[in-house]
Amino acid sequence: MRGPRRRGASTPPPPPAVVVPVRRIRSAFAVVLVLIGLTVAQLVQVQVVDGAEHAARGERQRLRTVELPAVRGRIYDREGAVLATSVDAAAVHADPAAFRPTTRPDGTRVPAAGDRREVARALAPLLDLDPVALADRLDRDGRFVYLARQVDLATAEAVMDLRLPGIGMHVEPRRAYPSGGTAAQVVGFTGIDGAGLQGLEASHDHVLRGRSGTLLVEHAPGGLAIASGERELVPAEPGADLVLTLDREIQHVAERVAADVSARYDALGATVVVLEVGTGDVLGMASAPTFDPNARRTGDAAAWRNRAVTDLFEPGSTQKALTVAVALESGAITPATAFDVPDRLTVGGHTFTDVSRHGVERWTVGDVLARSSNVGTILVAERIGEEALREGLLALGQARPTGLGFPGEVAGHLPAADAWWATTLPTVAIGYGTSTTLLGLATSYATLANDGVRVTPRLVRGTVGLDGRLEPAPPAAAERVLSDRTAGVVLELLGAAVDGPGATGGLAAVPGYRVGGKTGTARKPLVDAAGYSDQYVASFVGVAPLDDPRLVVAVMVDAPQGAYYGGAVAAPAFAEVMHASLLARRIVPDGSGRSLDELVRSAAAAPAPTAP
Amino acid sequence: MSSTVRDPAASPLRRALALLGPLRDADLVVVAAALGLTGVGLVAIHSAKAASLAAQGLPATLYTGRQAVAAAIGVVVMLVATLVDYRRFRPFVPFAYLGTVLLLVLVLTPLGTSVRGSQRWITLLGQQIQPSELMKIALLLGLAMLFHETEGVPGLGRTLLAVGLTLLPMGLVFAQPDLGTSITYLFLTGVVLLVSGTRVRWLLLIAVSGIGAFLAALRTDLIRDYQLERLTVFLGADAPDADLTGALFQTRQSMIAIGSGGTYGKGLLEGTQTALSFVPDNHTDFVFTVIGEELGFVGAASVLALFAVLLWRALRIASQALDRDAMIVAAGIGGVLVIQAFVNVGMTVGLMPVTGLPLPFLSYGGTSLISWLGMTGLLLNVHLRSRQGLIGGRW
Repeated sequence: MRGPRRRGASTPPPPPAVVVPVRRIRSAFAVVLVLIGLTVAQLVQVQVVDGAEHAARGERQRLRTVELPAVRGRIYDREGAVLATSVDAAAVHADPAAFRPTTRPDGTRVPAAGDRREVARALAPLLDLDPVALADRLDRDGRFVYLARQVDLATAEAVMDLRLPGIGMHVEPRRAYPSGGTAAQVVGFTGIDGAGLQGLEASHDHVLRGRSGTLLVEHAPGGLAIASGERELVPAEPGADLVLTLDREIQHVAERVAADVSARYDALGATVVVLEVGTGDVLGMASAPTFDPNARRTGDAAAWRNRAVTDLFEPGSTQKALTVAVALESGAITPATAFDVPDRLTVGGHTFTDVSRHGVERWTVGDVLARSSNVGTILVAERIGEEALREGLLALGQARPTGLGFPGEVAGHLPAADAWWATTLPTVAIGYGTSTTLLGLATSYATLANDGVRVTPRLVRGTVGLDGRLEPAPPAAAERVLSDRTAGVVLELLGAAVDGPGATGGLAAVPGYRVGGKTGTARKPLVDAAGYSDQYVASFVGVAPLDDPRLVVAVMVDAPQGAYYGGAVAAPAFAEVMHASLLARRIVPDGSGRSLDELVRSAAAAPAPTAP
Repeated sequence: MSSTVRDPAASPLRRALALLGPLRDADLVVVAAALGLTGVGLVAIHSAKAASLAAQGLPATLYTGRQAVAAAIGVVVMLVATLVDYRRFRPFVPFAYLGTVLLLVLVLTPLGTSVRGSQRWITLLGQQIQPSELMKIALLLGLAMLFHETEGVPGLGRTLLAVGLTLLPMGLVFAQPDLGTSITYLFLTGVVLLVSGTRVRWLLLIAVSGIGAFLAALRTDLIRDYQLERLTVFLGADAPDADLTGALFQTRQSMIAIGSGGTYGKGLLEGTQTALSFVPDNHTDFVFTVIGEELGFVGAASVLALFAVLLWRALRIASQALDRDAMIVAAGIGGVLVIQAFVNVGMTVGLMPVTGLPLPFLSYGGTSLISWLGMTGLLLNVHLRSRQGLIGGRW
């Protein structure tokens, strides 16, 4: 071929024995140089241009943040009794690699440390799981799989005692609710990872959960931490404790009474609220049916609702006290104003009747309230007028959120101003066509009991941080919505509605104390149509002691069977809760002027209750 | 050298040293480049494996030690291959070729050893060897012999015979399966045909039928799914947030490791991607990632430069060779070296699809290292003979 051998001029020329394809070699060398250049260019791109990006990507997959869970705060009642706490439970986990044979780099074969079916069979009864499903879990890829979480420490220790290969445990916190979950619907519960899901656990999660710490660990692809890897520790900060306004003693009674009354009347449910007058503190808040947050999987999720704030009902006759309050405050009537009250009245084409037949009676507003006369209340309301009634009820807090801020809380309903028909005024006056939560109703009565100053109800007294001191919650907002005088008059009328002549609330009487309150019996509206069903809501709301009201108790029974009058169904329940609450709060019986000596003497002398 | 002649009664040590005399004329650039690459390889292998071996409670130098032994054997082989005149090898070439083919057949029998589904090794005299690496030398020598006698343009018969000599070991290695190495044989034969003066149109014809055969193989089950997948996903390897698992995994991890080395690298034994074994096979086929991460662009480019230097010297030696077969051997060594290096490095930086192919001199694997040091010896051998031919030496 062409191309004689290239050589320097100084070298002596030997015979050209070999034909060297210089051109081919040169072209091939050129091609190879291009390839090398291409590789170098790519190296520049990858290492110099994109180097930082690749390094960051590497760091992302190499460094893992291990979360160190913070200890969740406890929840206490107002006296320091524990309502929710965290205890040590355990998670049982496995390394599926232990059930696979491997080959080490020096060629030694490492047999599987155990047989996954045998291990699954041994574990299944302890963990109460299906052995086949367990064996499947042990067959997963990777190096870590949970077998069971939130099991008792004793169970996990029993598992560890079996000394099975590849099986491990670690301690993890579990939320525990002592005494089967006192105030379960109020306190709520957390999920498996400790985050609040319901109730105050959810709404105050930011207070309770604390700040989890982090541990930055360098990981190999297999998931194992590298012992010498860079680490950065941010310790966890425990959550603050929550101190509630609830009084465990009162709460117990409220829960028992709600359950009892609901069971006795075969009702859909019953709700009880106990409020402290002046502070807005919710002392008790109970709904039946309830649930055990320690075993909530087995119950009905409907029982999780805190019905006192999530469920609306038409208040019926308990509304009449509010109508009367608005009438007195507006000056439309005085306590002495008398009405000629028939037992039926037709307004806007609809005839309203009283429960019991009577002739045309001349009644004051007090008589109207005591007898719970529909017709009388409507006559009172007609003096007020539509707009003033609506404004007055709104001012009292009707159809407004209570301000409690509980998750899932709803506001009541009052028809908008332009939606009032001829029958709206008489309907609303006697507690139909408007709705409220039980807490909303109790708050309105607490306003009457608090000389006309409305106080926002609250469930949280304060928080206790690391320093162990109670950090009080900001005082509840207070706003005067009624005159002192009006409130006083209505209270007195409510007293008569319990112990006056012809009163419907007689069964609400509490031995030793004067109480004031109002019965309510309302037909339940149909769910899927206009009109009303033949089911009732029986309710009673009242205050005590009447001279210096300290507590408001509201009771609502949903769809009682057999009896259904508020005075028959709800009033006795009210009396029981009120009595127990007064004792629990150590509230001195009525009879101002009696000295402590006299009280002690009378208590010692006469175990029998004083007649009202 | 003259002292040897003058004093035959010298001590055995002196005689032995005298035997090494011709090395004075050796191409020291080639020696330095080959030993330099071997040294870098030993360091990279150590860095790649020390951490994970220690984590498993094994000596950190397990791999490094084995490779060092291979390097020592390789240097001896290189010396022998340098000093013994290549012309004395000629009678043994057919036996070498047939013997290695026989070994390749034995690998496929139950005598062979399989790792991760690929049967590539056989145990001889207690040592595990990889005959497909030896086959490179045997094939090169065989082809060189085949074209040694040809004057001018080789005839069609010889060309077809060369193709046949290539296809036989190719098929055996492909069956292991080891796609990468079998393709290396193809490149080797291509280089040999190129320098032996085969007509360009025959070369084209062979290339076209080769591509056709490959495409036909795609339609059958001969090419395995994972091999095809590697080739196809390669085309999408640059998608920034592609799945980090699956077929793209190695390329991605390899680019992350090399890229995170930056310009100057993280320093020896400081490579985290390397130490934590994010790149699979980072002591064998992906050893270049260790160099990229720990020595940075400077180190990686230096390694490429050493390969380029070796190619340059190999072509220079080829062009000065005294014999046709020597010229073919020298050019073939240079060509295969640089093509294999390019395919391997290209795979680690995302330029080439992932095919299991070691990086010459650097990847862990005794047979591969010994083969390459042996080929370096052949290169030096050709160089020495031409130097001595030029100055009228006695060999």
